[in-house]
Amino acid sequence: MAEKIGVYFDKSSIGPYLDLEALAEAVKNKWSSQCPVVSLEDKLASQEGKQKIQQDIDNGTIDAVCVCGTSPRFDSEFFDFGPKVPVARTSLREHCVLAYDDPDGKSLEPGQETPEPLQALARDYVNMSVTNLQKTEPPEGEVLETEKRVLVLGGGWTGLNAALSVADSGYEAVVVEKEQELGGYAAKLYKTFPLSAPYEEAQFTGVDRLIESVQNHDKITVKTGTTLQRFDGQPGQFQATLKGGSGEEELSVGSMIVATGWEAQDTKYVEPLGYGKHKDVVTSMQFEEMAKKGEIVRPSDGKKPSSVVFILSFRSLLDEIVKEEEAQKAKEAEERAKLEEEQSDEEVAVEETFKKTESYRHLAFTNEITSLNSLKQARYVREFLPESLAYIVYEHMTIPGLNEHYYKAAQDDTGIMLTKGEVTSVYEEGNGSIVVRAEDTLIGDDIEIEADLVVVPTGLVPTTALDPVIKLAYRQGEAFPELELFDGFADSNYICFPYETRRTGIYAAGSVRQPQTLPRSAEDASGSALKAIQCLESVNRGMSVHPRSGDLTYPKFNFVRCTQCRRCTEECPFGALEEDAEGTPKPNIARCRRCGTCMGACPERVISFDNYSVGQIGSMITQVKVPDEFELGGPRILVLACENDAYPALDMAALRGRKWSPYVRIIPVRCLGSVNTIWIADAMGKGYDGALMLGCKYGDDYQCHFMKGSELCDRRMKNIGETLGRLGVEIERVQQEQVAIDDYDLIPDLINDFVDNIYKIGPNPFKGF
Amino acid sequence: MSQPVRVRPDLEFVQELQAAGGHDLKKCYQCATCSVVCPLSPMDRSFPRKEMVWGQWGLKDKLVTDIDMWLCHKCGQCSEQCPRGAKPGELMGALRNMAYRDLVGPKFLGRWMSSVKHLPKLIAIPAVIYLIVWLITGSIHGTPFPLENGEIVFGLIFPGDFSIDPIFGLATLFVLWTFYKGVRTIFAAYEAQPKTFVLGYHKPRSLLSSFWQVIKEEVVTHKKWKDCGEEEEDETKFKGHLVLFYSFVALFIVTSVVAVTHWGGKILPFLHMGYPMPLWNPVKILANIGAIALVVGLIFLTKRRLNVTKKDESAYADWYLLGVIWVVALTGILSELLRLSGVAGLAYPVYFLHLVSVFMLIAYLPWSKLGHLVYRVAALTYARYMGRVSTEIENKQNKVFVL
Repeated sequence: MAEKIGVYFDKSSIGPYLDLEALAEAVKNKWSSQCPVVSLEDKLASQEGKQKIQQDIDNGTIDAVCVCGTSPRFDSEFFDFGPKVPVARTSLREHCVLAYDDPDGKSLEPGQETPEPLQALARDYVNMSVTNLQKTEPPEGEVLETEKRVLVLGGGWTGLNAALSVADSGYEAVVVEKEQELGGYAAKLYKTFPLSAPYEEAQFTGVDRLIESVQNHDKITVKTGTTLQRFDGQPGQFQATLKGGSGEEELSVGSMIVATGWEAQDTKYVEPLGYGKHKDVVTSMQFEEMAKKGEIVRPSDGKKPSSVVFILSFRSLLDEIVKEEEAQKAKEAEERAKLEEEQSDEEVAVEETFKKTESYRHLAFTNEITSLNSLKQARYVREFLPESLAYIVYEHMTIPGLNEHYYKAAQDDTGIMLTKGEVTSVYEEGNGSIVVRAEDTLIGDDIEIEADLVVVPTGLVPTTALDPVIKLAYRQGEAFPELELFDGFADSNYICFPYETRRTGIYAAGSVRQPQTLPRSAEDASGSALKAIQCLESVNRGMSVHPRSGDLTYPKFNFVRCTQCRRCTEECPFGALEEDAEGTPKPNIARCRRCGTCMGACPERVISFDNYSVGQIGSMITQVKVPDEFELGGPRILVLACENDAYPALDMAALRGRKWSPYVRIIPVRCLGSVNTIWIADAMGKGYDGALMLGCKYGDDYQCHFMKGSELCDRRMKNIGETLGRLGVEIERVQQEQVAIDDYDLIPDLINDFVDNIYKIGPNPFKGF
Repeated sequence: MSQPVRVRPDLEFVQELQAAGGHDLKKCYQCATCSVVCPLSPMDRSFPRKEMVWGQWGLKDKLVTDIDMWLCHKCGQCSEQCPRGAKPGELMGALRNMAYRDLVGPKFLGRWMSSVKHLPKLIAIPAVIYLIVWLITGSIHGTPFPLENGEIVFGLIFPGDFSIDPIFGLATLFVLWTFYKGVRTIFAAYEAQPKTFVLGYHKPRSLLSSFWQVIKEEVVTHKKWKDCGEEEEDETKFKGHLVLFYSFVALFIVTSVVAVTHWGGKILPFLHMGYPMPLWNPVKILANIGAIALVVGLIFLTKRRLNVTKKDESAYADWYLLGVIWVVALTGILSELLRLSGVAGLAYPVYFLHLVSVFMLIAYLPWSKLGHLVYRVAALTYARYMGRVSTEIENKQNKVFVL
């Protein structure tokens, strides 16, 4: 608990727009015993400023710092005094001075008397910061014994590269491969698309050398013919149960890289092209096998084909399958919706059985690979049979990046013909050859090509679409949750955190997360290896791994008051909470991402963080001075803004000259998921006229950094709507809006529209009580 | 929908196309920037995009019967804007080159005209003919450089009635017959093409009225040349070709007048004119103006062609034609000047070269780039007649892209 708080005002960041002397006076009067230091500094965000504060700390004068100046998103390098000294930042610049929209329309003039709404705003914010510090404990991270070993699941191209990255960085790697040989599909290729400049020729993969490096590395242990049976524990202290030739064994690891790659898409999707019916219609994978063996011949009669047609586009032929699958999906969605209605709103259904998510769409997702493959294999035709022709009929020729050189080189071959078009029929003609009919071609006509051999594309289906793979012994299930959102890919849904998954300590790389070429997969391997190492080096210091990297706090439970309602264990997006026989939660701190969703869920408020708790925010809310009537100082609206997208958007709006009503009081929260409904009750009870929650987008294409937070908040707010209604409080007073980080220009309207609406509804009926 | 076309790519044809000028055609990836940029392409089945993919697929039948190769006037904007450097303009040029070569036999002529290694043979034909004439007439006069009253008279060595008119007359008839066959071939091919119906466009009543429209609206004004672009090179091209064209017209008029008055004069004596013509003779004045204009036009066009740009590449066929016309112009002017200066030892040889070069220009006309004189006009005529016109005519708006 902070008992001696130093309050420092940064004159340079606020300028002559706020009466800082008056503000300091008010603080001294209100907090005389708690704040031994209240000072105005010329330029606080500087080495000198930092030293001044450090001196006050070293003298023992203060044990916590309240900085009043810029937003907490700036100048943090000057205001870090070690984990034992809590710091609160009051955003007087962005949220007071810059965003101030005078109710009378007057503009702020320097040196003039500060308008009262602005002064009241600043006063409230400073008081809230002091209150915040009073309810803050310096965090002590829970340091865990960490196994500095990374489990690499999958011994293919990605897994091998990942293991090398891990081992070359000084950590142990264990490669677990279910087949007897390492190398995966890379070992089955004849050649691959270019790996190096000038990117014009297909090359041998070099996977043999890769396998050798792995086998010879002293920090890598290889277990082939081995599968993962069970994965339990938490980051730093995972227990993997492996089953191999010599039976079962237990392995302790600190983190895991999932590099289990892909399986070929079910051939039923290419049956409309004659696969299975005509012997001379083969898949791309089968064609590759032919090339690897050293000769390309027709399966029917062993003769060399004089023309080979590669089909990439056959939309209309898939129509029936697509309709079937879409109908099936719709039916399942309906059933699920019915189930959700029948259950009580507080319970969240947990999927018990693993559902496969392979669909027709996986062929389209594999676009880059199938496009490149068609070029590569067309050149095989020309390599093995210089007199033969190769045709490619495509819908898209998706060749990103440096492979454009490869595309050009393939085009340059006179024997390779490409056209956009749609294959509408593949049929056999009397003399044993096959005719491919394509419509809407670039040639201008519908065309028919006589083919001796037809090659149909192979879609890459991630292993996680077909099998749980990670075999977690977590209460929330053995597989990654909600994989159907990503069509089965072990995807993080964030371009900025590509290797992350919804299970802390487990990182995905390679085609299991997105169909990728070998060079991309190698990059992925390095990236995920770095993440896996970051995990080890955070957990061993008691810090959160990601996205609140370096956070020493963790949720603490007062189990005495727990009623075993299970809301926290079910709602935790990361499965961090197991439960005992009675249903009391068992936290696994290393799995936790410190979002506070559990804190927001708990109706008994038993969960808190050292520097972020229900009581703390509740006190901040009630610290604000609420006028008894609108005419006496305007309404008061609480804005809870999540620190990931909404709060930065607010800052950006302010810095770009956008302004909003001075009657809102903004409190940053870790995630809207951490918003406990008691805060709304506190606000309404105190006389606030409205509560607006600003958080990340949710839904299928969510941006919530903690996956479910804003969605859960929305659901909880809908629930309390009933309660509020019964109390005579209009439900319009409590709203949630979705804000993306680049929506900053919408912020002022969002806030001001809400304020206008409050004016319409009128003051809180409980005001003044 | 129409019946699907059974494609049978001709790989050799692809290689032929590449050799004839479309060497970068495989680079095209069908983005259609060329067709969008082209100021002359009609909106439906536009060119040169489809020609590029037909070329890549070796669809010979479609290409050799394509009227669009003549609608293209080689402004080069497509090559300039092509993001891949596939140079569609060069492919269109290659198609024309192959048309000159292959439309009408004898096949060896087309082949000889396609490469510089055959040039000596092409020169040899008229050179040998006129050397023989020179030997004969030289021995009659007892000297290779005879004088009449101290004056150089080219007719002494190369008498018009016996050595020039018959040979050139035959050559001209041969050329006219060749063109007739060529135009008939292409018209037959175009007859088989799908017709276009353009709202608001009134098709000409007959081929003749269509032809007249082409002459009136395009040839005389060189209107389409203004769509080539806004660069200096485009301005140079326009001026050069306009001047060159009208110099040809002038010289054609002069030659025709001489032919008519000479042969007509044998029946109607009042038509007769004396040769060489005196300088103050209006026909001679026109001839001299024409000659100077010819050189001016040549300077413009040669200057432009020497400046290598993205729009246009120069190949053998281009230099051959320019070269021959240069020789015609310079030897022509030089002959006159040397004759007037009385340098017989140089005048006669230069005149000999003049005859050789004029023969090469005329006799090989249908197989040279100058074949466009007839083929393009014929194709433009037919295009208007069948309704295949550029967007400008469809919309009565200017479709010029200034980039």
